[in-house]
Amino acid sequence: MRMRWPLIATAAALTALAGAAAAHHSFTATYFEDRTMEIEGKLLQFMFRNPHSFVHVEAPDENGQMHRWAVEWGGAGQLSGQGVTNQTLRVGDVVSVTGNPGRDPADHRIRMQYLRRPADGFEWGRNPGETFN
Amino acid sequence: MDVQGDFTGVPMNDAARKYAEAFDVTRVAVLEHQCQPYNVAHIYRGPIQFRVFEDKNPATQEIVSYRVFSGTYMQWRTIWMDGRAHPPSHVPHTHMGFSTGEWHGDILTVKTTHIKKEFYRRSGAPSSDLTTLVEHYIRHGNVLSHVMIITDPVYLTEPYVLSQEFVIMERGNQNWLYNCEYVMEVPMDKNDLPFYLPGRNPFIEDYAKLYGVPFEGVFGGAPTTYPEYMPTLERLMNR
Repeated sequence: MRMRWPLIATAAALTALAGAAAAHHSFTATYFEDRTMEIEGKLLQFMFRNPHSFVHVEAPDENGQMHRWAVEWGGAGQLSGQGVTNQTLRVGDVVSVTGNPGRDPADHRIRMQYLRRPADGFEWGRNPGETFN
Repeated sequence: MDVQGDFTGVPMNDAARKYAEAFDVTRVAVLEHQCQPYNVAHIYRGPIQFRVFEDKNPATQEIVSYRVFSGTYMQWRTIWMDGRAHPPSHVPHTHMGFSTGEWHGDILTVKTTHIKKEFYRRSGAPSSDLTTLVEHYIRHGNVLSHVMIITDPVYLTEPYVLSQEFVIMERGNQNWLYNCEYVMEVPMDKNDLPFYLPGRNPFIEDYAKLYGVPFEGVFGGAPTTYPEYMPTLERLMNR
């Protein structure tokens, strides 16, 4: 008698076993992963979505010139598992962001590593599991 | 580690190399590309969780199809098990393609055609709309081994074989939604399309430099995957 997969008959949910899944796109091609930078400024926009959330922050560069920085963060699905929601950040929040700078300085983009909101001490990036791909 | 310029093991031809050299990975930030899903030959290599459902003939209880829901990009896939033929080649293609399956003992073999063009890797190794896929699903307890044999007459010189393992989730992940909306991620002119002219891709050799291997080996396609390539590799390393 031919055998089948008994458990496949029900709605079996499977997930990748090894952590070899590739990211949505290559971060190393977009950011200098061997460098970090920090900005602090006012949050202009929080786009909580897939494939990646983005936080736009108005902050000065090293020369004091104000720019709109695009900070790339995790996908909404991934972040929601870490307790982040579309209500976590609000327009007008003053935030400090540390991350990898983009390879093209004209883009003013950063890959998020750590975020802190001084007003209430909210932070992301230094607790176990707070990461994204 | 995901490094730009990693084409190792992909049996690319010259057309694929030209495509990859011109590809700028920041193209994924372009509005029209942000929500582009992975196709069936690519999705199993990315972050994924999926559910498998049976559809049975209510009268005979024979399995008509397996349906697979992938959380990433919320894609549905149907694997027809009723012996039906694949449609003509001119029928519209989809990201999941048209799949038929049959059992060989405990192994489910699935053949897929009509797959939309996409990539084998996000580093820019392209796949064409003539790609066909043969998969073998082999279960060992709670582990599902998955072997893919990809054939692409446009961009590959020979079949591209990949394998991965999946495990049954012990507790349900509550997040199966993947809402993707188009937003201006990084302010840019909407008519800008990132690309590189021939010979101008500054990142194409990043992988080779990071791991100290010859770029010819990384970009060399199928011959580099065989033991017979070792003397060539040694010569290049000693150059």
